[in-house]
Amino acid sequence: MQYTLAGFRLSSIVIVAAIGLTVIYGIRGFANFAYGDLMTLGAYVALFVNMNMALSLVWGAIVSFVVLALVGILLEVLIFARLEGRGPVPPIVASVGVGLIVQNGIRAVATTQQWIFRVPFIPEIPIVPGLGFHWIRDLGTVAVGLAFMISVHILLTYTNLGKAMRATADNLELAKATGIDTKLVTYAAWAVSCSFASTAGVLLGLIGVVSPVIGFNVLLLVFAAVIVGGIGSPYGAVLGGLVIGLSQEMSVPLLLGLGASSAYKVAIPFIVMIAVLILRPWGIAGRPPPFARRVFFIEKILDAIGGRPGAAQDAERESGG
Amino acid sequence: MGVPARPRTRNERAGADRTAIDTGILTNVGFYVYVSIVFALLALGFNLQWGYTGLFNAGIAGFFLIGAYTTAIAITPPTPPSIGYPGHLGGFSLPLWLAAILSMAAAGSVAALVALPTVRLRADYLAIATLAFAEVLRVVAINWESVTAGTIGIFPIPQPVEFNPPSAFLNAMVKVAIGAGVLLILLVVLLFMTESPWGRVLRAVREDEEATMALGKNTFLYKLQAFAIGGALMGLAGWLFTITINYIEPSGSFAPAITFSVWVMVIVGGAGNLRGAIVGAFAIYGLEWLSVQLKDYAPRELKDTIFYIRLMIVGTLLIVLIIYRPEGILREKKRILR
Amino acid sequence: MTERSEAPLILRVQDVRKSFGGIRAVDDCSLAVSPQSVTGLIGPNGAGKSTLFNLIAGLYRPDGGEIWFGDTRIDGLPPFEIVHLGLTKTWQIPHELRNMTVLENLVLGSKHNAGEHLTNLFFQPGLVRRDEKRWRQRAREVLRLTQLDALANEHAKALSGGQKKLLELARALMTDPTLVLLDEPVAGVNPTLAGNLMDLIEKLRRDGRTFFLIEHDMNVVMNRCDRVIVMHQGRTIADGTPASVKANPVVIESYLGG
Repeated sequence: MQYTLAGFRLSSIVIVAAIGLTVIYGIRGFANFAYGDLMTLGAYVALFVNMNMALSLVWGAIVSFVVLALVGILLEVLIFARLEGRGPVPPIVASVGVGLIVQNGIRAVATTQQWIFRVPFIPEIPIVPGLGFHWIRDLGTVAVGLAFMISVHILLTYTNLGKAMRATADNLELAKATGIDTKLVTYAAWAVSCSFASTAGVLLGLIGVVSPVIGFNVLLLVFAAVIVGGIGSPYGAVLGGLVIGLSQEMSVPLLLGLGASSAYKVAIPFIVMIAVLILRPWGIAGRPPPFARRVFFIEKILDAIGGRPGAAQDAERESGG
Repeated sequence: MGVPARPRTRNERAGADRTAIDTGILTNVGFYVYVSIVFALLALGFNLQWGYTGLFNAGIAGFFLIGAYTTAIAITPPTPPSIGYPGHLGGFSLPLWLAAILSMAAAGSVAALVALPTVRLRADYLAIATLAFAEVLRVVAINWESVTAGTIGIFPIPQPVEFNPPSAFLNAMVKVAIGAGVLLILLVVLLFMTESPWGRVLRAVREDEEATMALGKNTFLYKLQAFAIGGALMGLAGWLFTITINYIEPSGSFAPAITFSVWVMVIVGGAGNLRGAIVGAFAIYGLEWLSVQLKDYAPRELKDTIFYIRLMIVGTLLIVLIIYRPEGILREKKRILR
Repeated sequence: MTERSEAPLILRVQDVRKSFGGIRAVDDCSLAVSPQSVTGLIGPNGAGKSTLFNLIAGLYRPDGGEIWFGDTRIDGLPPFEIVHLGLTKTWQIPHELRNMTVLENLVLGSKHNAGEHLTNLFFQPGLVRRDEKRWRQRAREVLRLTQLDALANEHAKALSGGQKKLLELARALMTDPTLVLLDEPVAGVNPTLAGNLMDLIEKLRRDGRTFFLIEHDMNVVMNRCDRVIVMHQGRTIADGTPASVKANPVVIESYLGG
């Protein structure tokens, strides 16, 4: 029970972050390794507003949301626009560089000290012994997660910008040809992506502490959620986030039952991710890629084990340069 | 990067390398040289994987960890648990050369296992999967106390040669000699391998895997070989790290930052250029080493900041190089066949 | 095994299907190629021609159907094994190995080159040296044949578009193929070079090789091919001599006229 609650809490945050990550993944076609550190940055901006300006955390989150959106656009203009069409590796390398700068910049400015947001104290409501319910920590995170999911759905389904984003993610050339301003769409995607990072970061700080590594520590979880759900699909990100968050927290009783340390729970999402990568590289909710290259050996093994003729044939084909 | 400097300061504080503190500039330079060699081995392994074959490995730290722990467990004498120390798997007291083989075999075979499902994936998936793999290994190393002694780490690890009376200077020189010997042999062997028809196929896979298939090459097999051999080199780097640093712990030394700094080294040195990888390792680790040296002279309020500034410089280098000089400072040379 | 027709065929494609995300790129396609012929494959954009080539070469795996190369069933075989049997392909957009020299590009076409196996490097250095020497000689012969010998030590990326097409063909020849699939071999090549290239193909055909090529240049198709196969929406809709295909009303309606 307490694990389910923790699982939903974690899932909500992972979902918000995974949606943000997958938007850029879909449109710019690369894995943003700086995403974790951008989440951290979001938390610190909110912290700054919360502490130094003595405003409530809600204001902090809003300011942080806007600041990070601008940071995202700046990153595209200064760095990632120059790496367009160079394949997946150069932007990954550059994003790691961004991550190092952000993370260590925070350390240099705000020290490695751990901070706690200044929020009104609300006691836990005990449900059963050992399990408390906390309005902000539990309901707040889940509610924010839900609100973001709904707003993304509205953005993508009902607004022109959202439709343009979907078209661009689907097929850049086609989108250009049909007169979509793909540059604008890319900026919008960066703004959405990074502002989601900021909110995810604030939520992370809310359920724990604010430190220079909070974002980086969950980066791989977010990646796992994106891959499990299917890269570039916001709905997949929701599904992936749920699977990843719940599998991590709900594996704890299982691990304890096996006599293993609960610290191993962080390995569970990756096992899920590897399984998905082997069996269904395009994710649970994703579509198989339009072009597929044959896979040898592994496929033969899998086919032999599972008796699934040709089931693993459609490994993702190298796209782009 | 960032990382061996910290275990070292910790290490000095822990007193495991008691004599190393005030022994002059040569010992210190020796330290710079053998740690650079550790990085050079990592960079050579990564260059074989990425520079030659195009396999973008983000889990370098994981293979490094396997090599380091294999060696630590293999060469240490029995260390019974005591107050404040949980003990670790070990007591085999194996010779160094055997530990080197074991480390390479362990890291190489794990690399092959990791490669089986992942080398067919697109570069970004491969990067995420390998980074996840390395982080899981680190979690295991932190938590599997009966084998690894957890966060406390494994120490003391015997010096390659014990001098009487103990001499930090001689120890450093022995380590430099071992490292330089290993590096030289590896460079010769790797040059032989990469300039052979086999190495040519690796480069072809990097340039265009489909075209290489259409030329009748089993590209999957070549990718597997390159990844496994690269992993084995990283394991050997772990071996050298363990026998030279004499203390390993999982939190810092095998963090993703290690992987990222090896990337910088290879990018600086030029992908597909073995000598470049070594130059890159010495140059980039030199930056770290200098920052450690400067720390003593820096004003007090800057003492900690200097490490962070260094990592920010590394980050900036990654961005600037990948945008303006993706082929590296030293370009891959053209092979004229006669 | 199905019954063989009286004239042995070098390539038989039977009811091959391939879908991508619900779109049938190749839909129950059947065709055959006779040995020592130059057979053209034409059809509008999106007819599934390149996909079919990728299926034959083993780069994609068909969803259904059979592909026979001589007496060997090759669907489901990995591409490198198909190349070893004597079937290789080139690309519409050249897949040159950019940062390698022209000569290196060619030597990579070597078959069972001892030096490409790690163990041989260390245990059979003599064999490796002899093999490599032999393959380099062979590569130089092919370079002379394709008139690329002056460019042997240039980076492949430095070549012009037409030269890259020639390089693709030269590289394919290194694998000593009996059947070569050429995806638009003269697209974007200047007329003189294109003529030379087609002359070369004609010469190689007389030496016993078979060519199956996708081409949009009707001049090439009508004057240089023995037979023409027309694909439309993933199927073959016509098959015959260039003249008969040109006169076929179905073809005119779906392709030439459209």
